[in-house]
Amino acid sequence: MVETGHFALVLAFALSLVQMTVPLFGARLGNQRLMAVGGPVTVAGFVLTALSFAALASAYASSDFSVASVWENSHSLQPLIYKLTGTWGNHEGSMLLWVLILTFFGALVAAFGSNLPATLRANVLAVQGAIGAAFFLFILLTSNPFVRLNPAPIEGRDLNPVLQDLGLAVHPPLLYLGYVGFSICFSFSVAALIEGRIDASWARWVRPWTLLAWMFLTGGIAMGSYWAYYELGWGGFWFWDPVENASFMPWLAGTALLHSAIVMEKRSALKIWTLLLAILTFSLSLLGTFLVRSGVLTSVHAFASDPTRGVFILGILTLFIGGSLALFALRASRLTAGGLFHPISREGALVLNNLFLTTATATVLVGTLYPLALEALTGDKISVGAPFFDLTFGPLMLPLLVLVPFGPLLAWKRGDVFAVAQRLMAAFAIALTAMLVTGLFIDGASVFAALGIGLAVWLVAGALTDLAVKSGVGSVAPAIMFRRFAGLPRSVFGTALAHLGLGLTLLGIVATLSFGTEKILSMRAGDTVELSGHRLRFVGLYPAQGPNYSEDRGRFELIGASGSPVGEISSAKRFFPVRQTMTTESGIKTLGFSQLYISLGDAGKDGSVVVRLWWKPLVTLIWGGGLVMMAGAAMSLMDRRLRVGAPSRRRKQALASAGLP
Amino acid sequence: MLFWVIAALLTLGASLAVLLPLATGRRLALSSRDHDLAVYRDQLAELDRDGARGLIKPAEATEARAEIARRILRLDSADQAGDASPGRAPAVARLVATAAVLIVPLVSWGLYSQLGSPDLPSQPLSERLAKNPADSSVDELVARAEAHLAANPSVGRGWDVLAPVYLRMQRFSDAAGAYRNAIRLDGDSAVRQAGLGEAIAGAAGGIVSADAQDAFEAALKLDPANAKASFYLAVALAQEGRGKEAAAAWQAMLARLPPDSPWRSAVGQALAKAASPEVAAGGTNGPDAAAVDAASAMSPADRQAMIGTMVAGLDGKLRQNPRDPEGWMRLVRSYVVLGKTDQARDALGRAISVFGTGSEEARKFTAFAASLGLTATE
Repeated sequence: MVETGHFALVLAFALSLVQMTVPLFGARLGNQRLMAVGGPVTVAGFVLTALSFAALASAYASSDFSVASVWENSHSLQPLIYKLTGTWGNHEGSMLLWVLILTFFGALVAAFGSNLPATLRANVLAVQGAIGAAFFLFILLTSNPFVRLNPAPIEGRDLNPVLQDLGLAVHPPLLYLGYVGFSICFSFSVAALIEGRIDASWARWVRPWTLLAWMFLTGGIAMGSYWAYYELGWGGFWFWDPVENASFMPWLAGTALLHSAIVMEKRSALKIWTLLLAILTFSLSLLGTFLVRSGVLTSVHAFASDPTRGVFILGILTLFIGGSLALFALRASRLTAGGLFHPISREGALVLNNLFLTTATATVLVGTLYPLALEALTGDKISVGAPFFDLTFGPLMLPLLVLVPFGPLLAWKRGDVFAVAQRLMAAFAIALTAMLVTGLFIDGASVFAALGIGLAVWLVAGALTDLAVKSGVGSVAPAIMFRRFAGLPRSVFGTALAHLGLGLTLLGIVATLSFGTEKILSMRAGDTVELSGHRLRFVGLYPAQGPNYSEDRGRFELIGASGSPVGEISSAKRFFPVRQTMTTESGIKTLGFSQLYISLGDAGKDGSVVVRLWWKPLVTLIWGGGLVMMAGAAMSLMDRRLRVGAPSRRRKQALASAGLP
Repeated sequence: MLFWVIAALLTLGASLAVLLPLATGRRLALSSRDHDLAVYRDQLAELDRDGARGLIKPAEATEARAEIARRILRLDSADQAGDASPGRAPAVARLVATAAVLIVPLVSWGLYSQLGSPDLPSQPLSERLAKNPADSSVDELVARAEAHLAANPSVGRGWDVLAPVYLRMQRFSDAAGAYRNAIRLDGDSAVRQAGLGEAIAGAAGGIVSADAQDAFEAALKLDPANAKASFYLAVALAQEGRGKEAAAAWQAMLARLPPDSPWRSAVGQALAKAASPEVAAGGTNGPDAAAVDAASAMSPADRQAMIGTMVAGLDGKLRQNPRDPEGWMRLVRSYVVLGKTDQARDALGRAISVFGTGSEEARKFTAFAASLGLTATE
C-alpha cells in the first residue's frame, strides 16, 4: 500500500509534465486533439494524488513505522484522530496535502470548464500543470513522505504535542484550500497573458474562484487564530507573527482581487489591474509557503546551513513570480483596456478599496520581510511586532472601514455621494449613539474604545442599511418590500453579510482589547477570586492520565449570584513523555459572546498554583465575524449570475433570428 | 508481485488518459466569439432581472444595455481575424502526441526505480505485533509486552520482566520507569533497587549520580551481598576522584564474591583500569593520577581550592570547545558536588543552549541534572 502510494505520486508527476506541455502546444497549434488531452490528464493526476495521499494517511492510521515520516511524527498510543491529522502535521505530509488540493482545483476546472473557450481552458490547465509539476518535483526530491526505514523502528517519536488538537484537523486544510485556490486565478491570468487577450468569460470565471479561495482562506485564518488563542494558553488572538502574516497577505490581496473582479465583470474595466492582482495574490501565497516551509523564519542561518528545501522553493518562487511578471510586462500592453467611469461611482469606490488594501498588504510585507533581510545582511536579530503594525496597518484600515458602507450603495458609472450619505443617516446616527454611550458610560478614558465601537457599529448598521435600501424600506408598501427583499440577488446578501462580518470582527477586537480584564495570582484549593463580576472558586488540582500524556487538571467552579456553583471550568498542564514537553490546556467558559479564560501556571511546593485569568468580552465575535464573512462568500457563490451557460449553436441561431448579431 | 501488477495497471490507466483524447475523433469546438456572446447574453438577462426587481433605474438599464450591445458589435468586427483551423501542423502535433504518450511510463518507472523501495512491504504495527513471537525481533517483543502492560498497568511482574530488557536495549529512562513501577507494585527488593540505580546511571551517560547512589545504597540495605550495587558504588568513588577508595572497595568485593560470580571479571577489569593512571581519574580530560595523589595528600582547604581550579579549567575548555556532552555533564556534576548550585544551573543552561533545546543531548542533560537534584531554570 505504501509503495503504491509512492508510485502513484511519481506517476502523478509524470502526468503533470504532460499536462503542462501538451495543451499549451495544442492551443498554440490550434489542434483540438492536443488541447483535449488537458482535461482527462488533469483528472487522472488528481485521482493519483488522492490515492497517494490515502496511502500515506493509512500508513499514519496503522502506525506503519517503516515510513520515516510516520516514525518521526506519530506514536502508537495517539488517538486515531490525531494519527490521521498527523498526516499533514509535518513538512512532507503538508506538502502532499498542498499538491492534493492543487490537483483537486485543476480537476474542478477540467470537469466544469466545458463552457470555457477551448484555448483558454487548455492554457489554464497547462499553467496549473506547471505549478503542479514544480511542487511534485519538490516533494519527490527534497521532502518525500514515502522514504522508508528498514528495519522499521517499533515506536514513533510522537506528534508535536501542540499539534495534538482538533485545530490541526481543520486549520491547515482550510488554509491550503484558500492559498491554493488562488492558483486558479493565477492560472487564468497567465493563460490570458499567453493568449494575449481577455475573453468576456474570463472575469465571470475568475470571480467565483476568487470567492471560493477567499472564503476558505478567511475560514483558515479565523480557525488558526482561534486555535492559537486556546492552545497557546496566553489568551492572545493575533500576534503579527510572520507565519500569520504569511497567510494574512494573500488574504488582503485576495480581498482586493475580489472587489476589482466585480468591476471587471460588471463593467469590463480594470482588466489589466485585476490580472496583475491575481498574479500578486498567488505570488503572496507562494511566498507564504516559502516562509513557512523553508525554515527561513526560525533562523536565516539555519536556513543557510541546510538550504536544499529553501533554495528549491525559492527557485519555484522566482520561476513563477518572475516568469508571470515578465510575461505581464511583455503582454499587458496588448490587452485592451476597459470602460470608463467617474471617480464618484461604484467603480471609483472599489478602486479606492484596492488602493488601501494593496498598500496595507505592502506594509505587512515590509514588516514581515524586513527583519529577515536585516538578519541576512547584518546578522542582527530584530523583531517587528505589534507596535509597527499598529502604527502602519491601523491608520490605513481606518479610512477604508469608514468608507465601506458607501460602496455598495453607490451606483455604477456615476454615483451621487450626497444621496448615499442621506440613506446612511440612520446608520450614522446609530454609530454615533454607540460611540457616545461607550465614551460616556462604559469607558470614558479610552478614545480608542469609543471610536472603535462606533466604527464597528457603523459597519454593521451600514451593511443592514444596504439591504434595507435595496428592498425599498420606507418607499414602498411592506408587502412589496418583503417580496423585493426575498427576490434580491444572492450576491447582494453576500456583500451585506461579508461587510457585516467585518463589523462583527472589529467589534470583537475592540471590545476584547478595551474592556478585557486580567489577573495573575497564586491560588490554593478552596480559594475564590473575582474578575469583572464573575466569581470563581478553585476546587483543586487533580492528576489524570491520557492516552499518551499525563496531566494535572485544575478544576474551577463558577459561583452564581446565589452562592451556589453554576458551571465548571478546568484547565490542565499536560506532560508528553515521548517528546518531554509540557503543554497548557486552557479552560474556557463561553458566556453569551464573551469568554472566561483560565490558564494554569506552575505549581508551588506548598500546594498553591499560579493561575492566570482573563475576562474577554465579546471575544467570540472575532471569529464569529469570520464565519459570517464566509457565509457571505458562500451566498455570493450561489448567485445565478455566476453560472454561465455553455454556448450552443442553437442559441446563436436564436440570437441571430432575434435580430442581434 | 501484487505491487508490480498494481503499478502496471496504474501506468496503463495514466497512459490511457493521455492516449484516448488523442485517438478519439476531434470534436468541433466553438470559437471564443461564441463564448463571449453567451456571456453578454447572460449579462442582458441579468439586467432584465435587476430591472424587474427595481434594483436599477430604467434610464441606467437602457444605458447599460447599450453598452453591452456595443461590446457585442465590437466582438463582431474583431472576429473577422479568423479562427484557427483545427488540424493545422499535424506533423508537429503528432510528434508532441507521441512524446506525451511515451513520457508517462518512462518518467514514472525511471524515477520510481531511483526513489522507491518496491521490495519493502507495508508494516502496520498491529500486524507486526500479531505475528508468531518466534519470528519477531526483540523490539517487536518488547512492544508487545508494552502494549500488554499499557492495557494492564498494575501487573508488577510485567514491569519486572521488561525492565532488564530495557537496560540491555539502552533505553535507560524507560528502564528506570519500569523499575519504579515494579517497586511501587510488588514492593522493594535489592535487585530492583540495584537495577534502578543502573538505569539512572545509564541515563546520565554512565555517571553515578546522587540519585543512583541512593538506589544502590537502598539495595545494599536490603541485601548486603548485592554485587551490582557494591560495584557501582565503587564506580561512583572512582568518578569522584577517590580512586584508592574505589580500588579498595573493589578488592573487598573480590574477596567476598563467590568464585563463579559473573561480576568477578567486571571487577577485575575495573581494577585493571584503575591501575592505569589515565583512567583512574575518570577519563582522558580529567586530572592526572599525580594530581589526584597530590590532592589526597593536601589539607581539605587546599584540596577544595585545587578542585576549584580544575573545574574552572574544565569550564574554560568547554567555552572554547562546547560540543562535548560528556564534559558538560562532568562540569555540572562537579559544581553540584562543590555545592555551587547556581553555577551548576548556569552550566546546565549553557550546555542545553549549545545543543539546542529539544535536542537529544539537551534531554539527556535535563534528565541527568534532575538525577542530581538540580532543576533547570529558564
